[in-house]
Amino acid sequence: MSFESKLDVGKFVVTAEISPPKGTDTAGLLKDASMIKDFADAINVTDNQRAIMRMSPVAACSILESKGYETIMHMTCRDRNRLALQSELLGAFALGMKNILVMSGDHPVKGDHEGAKPVYDMDSVQLLGLVQKLNTGFDFSGNRLDGKTDFCAGAVTNIELSEIALIKLKKKINSGARFIQTQAVFDIEKFSSFLDKIKDTGISQSRIIAGIIPLKSEKSARFLNKNIAGVKVPQVLIDQMKNDRNPETKGMEIAAGLIKELHGMCGGVHIMPIGNHEKTKDILEWQA
Amino acid sequence: MIISSQKEFSEILRALKEKNIFIIGCGKCATKLRVGGEPEVLEMQKRLMRAGKNIAGWTVLSSACNISSWDDVLAQNPGIGKSDALLVMSCGGGVSLISSLSERQVYPALDTESLGGMRLQDTMKELCIMCGECTVWEFGGICPVSQCPKGLLNGPCGGAMDGKCEVDERTCAWDEIYERQKSLGKLENLGSVHEPKDYSRKKRRQTV
Repeated sequence: MSFESKLDVGKFVVTAEISPPKGTDTAGLLKDASMIKDFADAINVTDNQRAIMRMSPVAACSILESKGYETIMHMTCRDRNRLALQSELLGAFALGMKNILVMSGDHPVKGDHEGAKPVYDMDSVQLLGLVQKLNTGFDFSGNRLDGKTDFCAGAVTNIELSEIALIKLKKKINSGARFIQTQAVFDIEKFSSFLDKIKDTGISQSRIIAGIIPLKSEKSARFLNKNIAGVKVPQVLIDQMKNDRNPETKGMEIAAGLIKELHGMCGGVHIMPIGNHEKTKDILEWQA
Repeated sequence: MIISSQKEFSEILRALKEKNIFIIGCGKCATKLRVGGEPEVLEMQKRLMRAGKNIAGWTVLSSACNISSWDDVLAQNPGIGKSDALLVMSCGGGVSLISSLSERQVYPALDTESLGGMRLQDTMKELCIMCGECTVWEFGGICPVSQCPKGLLNGPCGGAMDGKCEVDERTCAWDEIYERQKSLGKLENLGSVHEPKDYSRKKRRQTV
């Protein structure tokens, strides 16, 4: 059953994030994917994440799809104008990709090519609208396509939403986002009030996939709070990490606990480990 | 107003291979911003002389980007004819204009940053990117194309932390747009989806 069909029938999905290699060697990519083979419903493949240059997600997804994995290809607006976005999407669909996740993308100054020209010819709302258009068989300019796409497009959000951020999320949903993957959740109450906030946006809670970052140490928790927008690890969890003799295991327990509570609240979880997926399997077994 | 800032002196010297230099300042934006008015031109003269250059003369044009007669400029500044190169302390508009008129090697002393203005005593940068398709009224008078480093038209990205933009210390432009629309009683404007801009409106190399 495809990722989208699972969302349709309300299965609690597990997605897991992988970054393409920085280079041409795909051994690490395949190894990381193999660690989550048995339980990930789809693998998210990032697009020059944090503006750090890596292999194209189209290529990485294609390699994974050829090995039997279902992917969710990230597509940012940072590096491509409307021509490149469309040709990339047509190519991705022809290569077998069905799911994409649309976002603005971190600004180049955040990454390892600070002087790169930031493109942002379109924003995430406009790109979602464009995907809908490609799905109906037309390009941005209204020209008919020789073979249309049939993408299931998703969008991202932080869970602490300002009024203006909520307005934007509504626009994303109205522009065709069929699922939402959230920034990491560390506080179930906050996630619950996020769900309340988006109740009347027209998207079912079963299409909200909550982000999970398993903490590795007290330091990693503080790093997330300081450097990753939209992530807030509560002090009580930082203290637990600090006081535990085996912080990595504690971080896995916290993640498993969160996943357990998220069952029944939303449509699934999205695991974004710091590093690789070595511990993801255990976390998912612990929460069951 | 065109916002510009002085280049590092070492960078100017690296480019400036010629010996006899004539310095041209600008009486408009560069004077107001204190980067290319008379005091700065005189300071530049001093530094260039210390660096071994011969200064053939200097002037501050009333406006480096608005020259009706180059012959008049030459007549009033005979030093230009004796110079090997001109160092222009104006925005890129003035530098390019003088390059096209002077038939000499022209060097810029400033880096042109953006179109902005002076609000009371504050220098306002990046008020406009001159996109050729002004829709600033739809955003409460705060242009997201210039004020948001990603130029996002439909709302903020998720990158701001504690109200600060992910790029630098500036306040998130979209928070400002929201507050402005709220105070204007126009929050309903924020709900509409804005289409991508039409960049064909901004063709290069047009002369009217």
